[in-house]
Amino acid sequence: MAWLKLDPITRRRFQKFRQIKRGYYSLVILLGAIGLSLLAPFLAESRALLVIYQGQVYFPTFQYLNMATFNQMPPPGWSTADIETEYLRLQHEWQAERFFYEREVAMAGEDKQKVAAAETKYPNRGNFVIMPPIPWDPYVSDFWYNEILNEIQALLTAGDREAAERIARRDRLDELADLIQSGEINAVLADRMRSPTGNLVGLAQGGTMPSLAGLGVVPPNPPETLRRHYLGTDSQGRDVASRLLYGFRISIFFALFLVFIGQVIGTIIGSLQGYMGGRFDILSQRLIEILVSIPFLYVVIILAALLTPSFWLLVGIMAIFQWISITFYMRTEMYREKTREYCLAAKSYGASHWRIIFRHLLPNCLTPLVTFTPFAIVGAIFALTGLDYLGYGLPAPTPSWGQLLDQALLPENRDKLWLTLAPFTAIAVTLVLVVFIGESVREAFDPKQYAKYE
Amino acid sequence: MRKLITAIALASLLLPAASIAMFAADAPAPTPAPSAAKDSGPVTLPKDIVWETDNDEPLIGSEKALRGGRHNAAISEYPLTFRLVGPNSNGTFAWWNRAFTMAFTLVSMHPVTDKFIPMMATHWSVQPDQKTIYFKLDPDARWSDGEKITADDYVFTWQMMQSKDIVDPFYNSYAERYYQSVDKIDDYTLRIVGTRPSWRPLVDYAGLWPTAKHKTVLDDTWVTRTNNEAQVAVGPYVVSGTERGVSVTFKRIPNWWGDKKRYFIGMYNFDEIHLRVIDIERELDYLRLGELDMMVEGTARRWNESYTFPAVTNGWLRRARVFVDVPDGVSGLQMNLTAPIFQNKEFRIALQHLFNFDRLNRNLMYNEYFRKTSFFQGTEYANPNVKNYEFSSEKAREHLEKAGYHRPSANQGSWAKLWNVAYGLLFTRSDSDEILVNDKGEKASFTLIYAAKGLERHLTVIQQDFRRAGIDMHLQLLEGGTMFQRARERKFEMVNLAMSGGLFPEPRQYLHSEFKTAQNSNAFWGYGTPEVDEMIKTYEENLDADARRQAMWKIDQIVHDEAFYIPFWSAPYVRLVYWDYMQFPEFYLPRRTQSLTDWMVYWIDPEKKAALEEAKRTNKALPLDENIDKDFYKVRERFQ
Repeated sequence: MAWLKLDPITRRRFQKFRQIKRGYYSLVILLGAIGLSLLAPFLAESRALLVIYQGQVYFPTFQYLNMATFNQMPPPGWSTADIETEYLRLQHEWQAERFFYEREVAMAGEDKQKVAAAETKYPNRGNFVIMPPIPWDPYVSDFWYNEILNEIQALLTAGDREAAERIARRDRLDELADLIQSGEINAVLADRMRSPTGNLVGLAQGGTMPSLAGLGVVPPNPPETLRRHYLGTDSQGRDVASRLLYGFRISIFFALFLVFIGQVIGTIIGSLQGYMGGRFDILSQRLIEILVSIPFLYVVIILAALLTPSFWLLVGIMAIFQWISITFYMRTEMYREKTREYCLAAKSYGASHWRIIFRHLLPNCLTPLVTFTPFAIVGAIFALTGLDYLGYGLPAPTPSWGQLLDQALLPENRDKLWLTLAPFTAIAVTLVLVVFIGESVREAFDPKQYAKYE
Repeated sequence: MRKLITAIALASLLLPAASIAMFAADAPAPTPAPSAAKDSGPVTLPKDIVWETDNDEPLIGSEKALRGGRHNAAISEYPLTFRLVGPNSNGTFAWWNRAFTMAFTLVSMHPVTDKFIPMMATHWSVQPDQKTIYFKLDPDARWSDGEKITADDYVFTWQMMQSKDIVDPFYNSYAERYYQSVDKIDDYTLRIVGTRPSWRPLVDYAGLWPTAKHKTVLDDTWVTRTNNEAQVAVGPYVVSGTERGVSVTFKRIPNWWGDKKRYFIGMYNFDEIHLRVIDIERELDYLRLGELDMMVEGTARRWNESYTFPAVTNGWLRRARVFVDVPDGVSGLQMNLTAPIFQNKEFRIALQHLFNFDRLNRNLMYNEYFRKTSFFQGTEYANPNVKNYEFSSEKAREHLEKAGYHRPSANQGSWAKLWNVAYGLLFTRSDSDEILVNDKGEKASFTLIYAAKGLERHLTVIQQDFRRAGIDMHLQLLEGGTMFQRARERKFEMVNLAMSGGLFPEPRQYLHSEFKTAQNSNAFWGYGTPEVDEMIKTYEENLDADARRQAMWKIDQIVHDEAFYIPFWSAPYVRLVYWDYMQFPEFYLPRRTQSLTDWMVYWIDPEKKAALEEAKRTNKALPLDENIDKDFYKVRERFQ
């Protein structure tokens, strides 16, 4: 920190802060989480990180590549030129082709013709996709759990066992794929004990085949690793882990912007109040009293209900009320510092008012600012979550913790614990971290330890 | 002395206040009895009157119905009053209360054939002025206390509707809007004159029911006095017992006059109806315990997930999805034709091609719903040749290209790509996603306003599909009143709203050009052409039923071609859950049923009840139904 010219008191405070392990590690974790959320497009996205297709390398993370690029089969009703590549399915399809190719080559043995036939049949076997750790973005609805069995069933009914097996293998339903490959699937489906309705959905719901448990079910779906929904899906099939991460991003950005704007405005006004005093102080104090008496959350809710604000408009609306609280502290601090001798000294050599305030006085008034900022951030996150919970915050489909909670507490979703636990834990952990930081900062800035009045 | 002056001063202050209070507390002048029709002299029948009736329609109920038994049903709250009109008279109990009183109108509509059938009147005669109707009343009709039902009772109903003593502004305004006069000609002959000529006078003016004049005294205490007074009923059931907050019991009156009537055969089969106050969420629990005979299931989720317990799999508790044919109204995504982005017809058609109802239905709605096709769904005016646009991104792209939209990336330089990266890192990807642009550089982007939070997840899936094709739809949740007001003022681009419909649609308010630019009207789309105006005129004035139908079918086709309405779905059925001993006719419920109390055609079979007890005791399974969908009237074929 040599490039930052800190005076000894401030350096002392930093040292003290670092000594308080709880706060220091909380800060490290929080900053790490914020950094991670900045990298969210590389962590949770339905676009692949890297695709190697026929020798060419693609980085689709910030690019739009439609299905024609990789010659992928579009979903029913779509055509390849109109829809973006579904990378997870692409990865599974190419892996399945590799699997089938290797199987056929193993079966062919020495037969050169069969090997050549296999090579033409599986042209994508050499291609490669790397997906982010959470291969879902917060907007895509994944209805796979409900649709997959219908898809395979349609192929079985049409008699195309090979295609049915390919799809089952692509999606890692290995037990089902084996049954299809061997042909036993028909007997299993005909057995009323195993499949009361005679089709695959009945087989899954009958409970006699655990690898199919959880299929043929509408969202929300519980967490599991096969489809890589590590925290399950919400009532529209969107991945909860991804929405949690992006919700964190949005909350933190919202809180940071809001608190930054609020504290800057509040500090300036509070400092001016303290420095200038007199009529300006009295008038602005009266204005602040009026603003404080307005119940700010109600006003924000009313405005949000009428306007459905975008991110920046919501920041603006809340900033109107955010700056007030810090003015009280900056005003008192400024009054105190104004009477000190170094201020008199600066005045005496002709420093301008702005220079006195910002260069000399303010750096000594930072204690309340630094103490209260973490709590202001907490308050802002809470306010945004609360607004989203009520439905008056950012518009759908913006990912947000409040919206997740709102969905989780609907009567039909109450028994789906993953929907409730995820945002609740996230909110609780974040707030606890910020409170730890705030407490430690307060303790670090506590003047008692080094100011000795004898 | 000072005390006296103070007293006088105070009194003089209080005097004006007291006098004002006295005037205010004066009992309001008693409502003058509404005057009878201003005709001079008594009303007589015209000389060459031609009476009509119709006793040839099929029976509504089943002749196999068995009389007897006690029916246990649920109401969601104890009635706040037993009155039929006035404050608090509308609640779940009111369905039952009205089913045995108000539902007995002069002339009724047959629930299957839609023809007019005699109910309280045996004959009627519609005069050429299309607003005067003469009725011959049924001399057999009796009140539940034995008194005869005469023309006086109908005149009294009309007077009561107009009276201020009932404290019911809805009926006051209803009487004013519809009825000009109701006159007694003799004890069993009645004349009704409506306010204006109508091409369906029996629908508009023959829906009057009798009120017991001999039992009702109208004064300003009527509302409070009759709060808990059971009605004297026209129908077969009267309130026989109540337990405050818990239940209301109806008992069948012996020798009900209607038992001999053709159109009541097979209806009202129970001896007793016991209504218990049960919260909707708990109804299934009571049903399972056997304390209810049947219930209507409200949600697709419970229908598909909650009925897996033994009573259902053993066939003791049966489920049936009975398809009914009721008018459905307009519901879906409505586009504002005055918004710049929707003025291009090709763009609108492209949106129609991008609405993937199947995906929504299969994954969010258990495959339970049916897509509407017509602007007049559920009525005879729905054009059977109009089918929804199929979901096809290729067709959508063709129309989008014709509308001038294309993907932007073809023209992007590397700076634009770098901007995409920076934007994607700082914000969520939602804004950097290949939204279509036209040649002027405008994005294919608009805002959908909606008020139904429950539909939000459907709308976000629709938004996703649009987004995949490159169309950016923003969602904006508003309060119900705000959304509706903005819709009526046409301050929106696209709105999701629903309007209920009746058997006789009223397209003028929606599609006539006189409302095309009007603020505060129901013409949300801002559509109006002389062609459609002509057809609306035909519908409203032409006496030829066929011409009317053709005109409405043409309107339906035009609405489809203009593509400003993306219809949503409807649930044209009643989800019944009932114990095996509840029996229904072969059609289950008549075609135009909206609730179970409309036409009570079901009965309890005592033999089956005993057999069910036996089966439960021995844990024997009864044969299951092959198909729980009962579509006697082929309603499903009318949807896509």
